[in-house]
Amino acid sequence: MLKRTTLTVTSAFPTQMLRLTEDISSFVSTCGISEGVVFVISAHTTTGIIVNEGLSCVETDIQDLLTRLVPGDLPYTHAHFLPSYGATSNNSPGHLKSTLVGNHCVFPIAGGEMVRGSAQEIYLAEFDGPQRRQIFITAMGE
Amino acid sequence: MIVIDSHVHPIYFEAICADEAALRFRTQQFGVYKQSPYALEETLTEMAVGRIDKTILLPLDISTRFGGHIVSNHEIRRIVDTAPERFIGFGSVDPNRSDAAEIVEQAFTELGLSGLKLNPAKQGFRAGDPKVRPIYDLCVKFNKPIIFHSGMSWEPDAPAAPGHPLEFEDVAAGYPNLRICLAHFGWPWVRETVMLMIKYPNVYTDTAMLYLDSPVDFMEQVFTRDMGKLTFERNFPNQVMFGSNAPRFRAFKLKAALEKLDMKESTREKLFGGNALTFLGEKGTIC
Repeated sequence: MLKRTTLTVTSAFPTQMLRLTEDISSFVSTCGISEGVVFVISAHTTTGIIVNEGLSCVETDIQDLLTRLVPGDLPYTHAHFLPSYGATSNNSPGHLKSTLVGNHCVFPIAGGEMVRGSAQEIYLAEFDGPQRRQIFITAMGE
Repeated sequence: MIVIDSHVHPIYFEAICADEAALRFRTQQFGVYKQSPYALEETLTEMAVGRIDKTILLPLDISTRFGGHIVSNHEIRRIVDTAPERFIGFGSVDPNRSDAAEIVEQAFTELGLSGLKLNPAKQGFRAGDPKVRPIYDLCVKFNKPIIFHSGMSWEPDAPAAPGHPLEFEDVAAGYPNLRICLAHFGWPWVRETVMLMIKYPNVYTDTAMLYLDSPVDFMEQVFTRDMGKLTFERNFPNQVMFGSNAPRFRAFKLKAALEKLDMKESTREKLFGGNALTFLGEKGTIC
């Protein structure tokens, strides 16, 4: 059996970590799958899905690390007019951070509930906000 | 310091996006793709990130050449009414219409709009054509400014020549009491735009431009190499307005690039909002 839903969240800042755990957990609890896995997949190329401890200090350190790895002011190539968009690209740091972080995570489902470690929090990491974002949730099992 | 984004095209504002055919027409005619309608909350959030207090919203009447509006005057009024303390609405009219004067008068009276947006390249007219004079006369009568698209346009079917800054000299000279903005610095004709500003105090321009490179690179090029480093604040500090050209470019990113330019804070305040107030005829009311 496969069950799907789409979460929509709106970021409020250029970079931000938005907690998704509760929404995903509630979907799993009501989707009718007892044993299986749940996939959390971002629909975007300037966001990431991160699993880490839900502490604001950890969130800050993650964001600071990514900014050190991908500074905002380097001479990126992705900074020119894009005819297919009718707009000028200037969000290369968002694309690169997204590449480093990855676009998804997976958790087990057991006894009809999502199983995760006590410290694990699921985040959508925004790297080119503020924007409305979509996250695909797919639960697979029986 | 008040911050006004003087150049926004609200083509994806949710308040006017219910009609899919109209949205498709608007998207194709404006030439911005792969974007979706966004809620008022998202617009206000983006303004908050950029610390932008007010935004001037621009329509365009292209009924003669293309049979419709990119955004109509009534749609602008509808959007402004969703957040009247944050939005300033302009009207538009196709000068080729036989009822152009009535449309302009309605925009300023019945709809209470704050100025006029005209785009000779897209609408298919020349700014110096005598048939446009009744429109200029009405703007003078109602003390309303005009924002002309100037310079290159990314819009389809919008050739560059009618947007050359020199096309507007007759208007600047013939209507000294009419405030006109040659938007986008007339890019790539920056020097021609500068020439008109130093000769005609009723000529303004805006920073709604990101034709090449990154926002920082582009603003440095225009403000420190196409012009001298002190050209703006020495020669026409009262005639350049902050503008973004959203949704083609994101306002808070262009503003951040302008914040990196070296200038007196008093000049920066004019750039970010003071000049727009003067252009609007403010110190009075705006809507």
